[in-house]
Amino acid sequence: MDSIDRDILSEIQSGFPLCARPYAAIGEKVGLTEAETLARVRALKQKGVIRRIGASFQSRKLGFLSTLCAAQVPEDRIEAFVAEVNRHPGVTHNYLRAHHYNVWFTLIGPDTDSMRDTLASISAATGIAILNLPAEKLFKIKVDFSMHKPAVDPSSQPG
Amino acid sequence: MPKETKPVFSEVQRRILRMAQADLPDSATPYADMAEAAGATEAEVLELLTRLKASGAIRRFGATLRHQKAGYGANAMVAWYVDDEDMARVGKYMSSRREISHCYHRINCLDWPYNLYTMVHAASPEECRRIVEELVRESGIDDYAMLLSRKELKKTSMEYF
Repeated sequence: MDSIDRDILSEIQSGFPLCARPYAAIGEKVGLTEAETLARVRALKQKGVIRRIGASFQSRKLGFLSTLCAAQVPEDRIEAFVAEVNRHPGVTHNYLRAHHYNVWFTLIGPDTDSMRDTLASISAATGIAILNLPAEKLFKIKVDFSMHKPAVDPSSQPG
Repeated sequence: MPKETKPVFSEVQRRILRMAQADLPDSATPYADMAEAAGATEAEVLELLTRLKASGAIRRFGATLRHQKAGYGANAMVAWYVDDEDMARVGKYMSSRREISHCYHRINCLDWPYNLYTMVHAASPEECRRIVEELVRESGIDDYAMLLSRKELKKTSMEYF
């Protein structure tokens, strides 16, 4: 990844152009032709730096709710618990964390009742209680990462 | 946090949004390709996406990176206890930090007293710790739990359409 790749990533993280020839528009900003820009974006996808290009929706504006959930899961039951949690399509993020509450996941759903039902069914299937921590207020959501002073050289990271 | 009324979309619009929530077609003219697949015009595709972005229903339209491969290998969720009357100040301060991607006030409960949640990203766990120490110093909030990530168990985008 060179500085032009970083320029491209910087551009397209926060705003991929909404116009007929988006790669021409990006190319104009970073000093490349349309074909060169498209080739670089393809390579960044192939290398796995770019996961996808598309829309991230604000669940609330589409009539959905989201919540953060936590559980204390004994080490030998983590695999079974995680399999049960992850099979629900509304579970979008799930992390194992270094704490006695060791499994943390987010759940998106159409209403509070159905989300409560989902959590109750996971608890019933696994015998593990779940903390439900719905949001009271959103202060910030911004998942763009600064591309110009990477803390470490990304190319040196193991795959 | 109350949700908003569910917007109504036509079947053609839903087809477009199903593509937009996944990955754009790999071509120089992704919107024309989407239009063809959905049975719409390119102008209709661009109008719908532009309108939803302007309304905030699309909070971001762009590339999603894999943090690890972009040089951010570690993350910590830090859960803080903040008095209600101090919440606005602390939420604003945490949100101003570029290392913090998410900041939410959440309802706490007896088993878990923390009510402000921040996601901190850095190159390493050590750097996460250093950032959290700075957050403690600068916010004056010292009642917190730091939960470093050990493993990503699932990470997907919600399929709304």
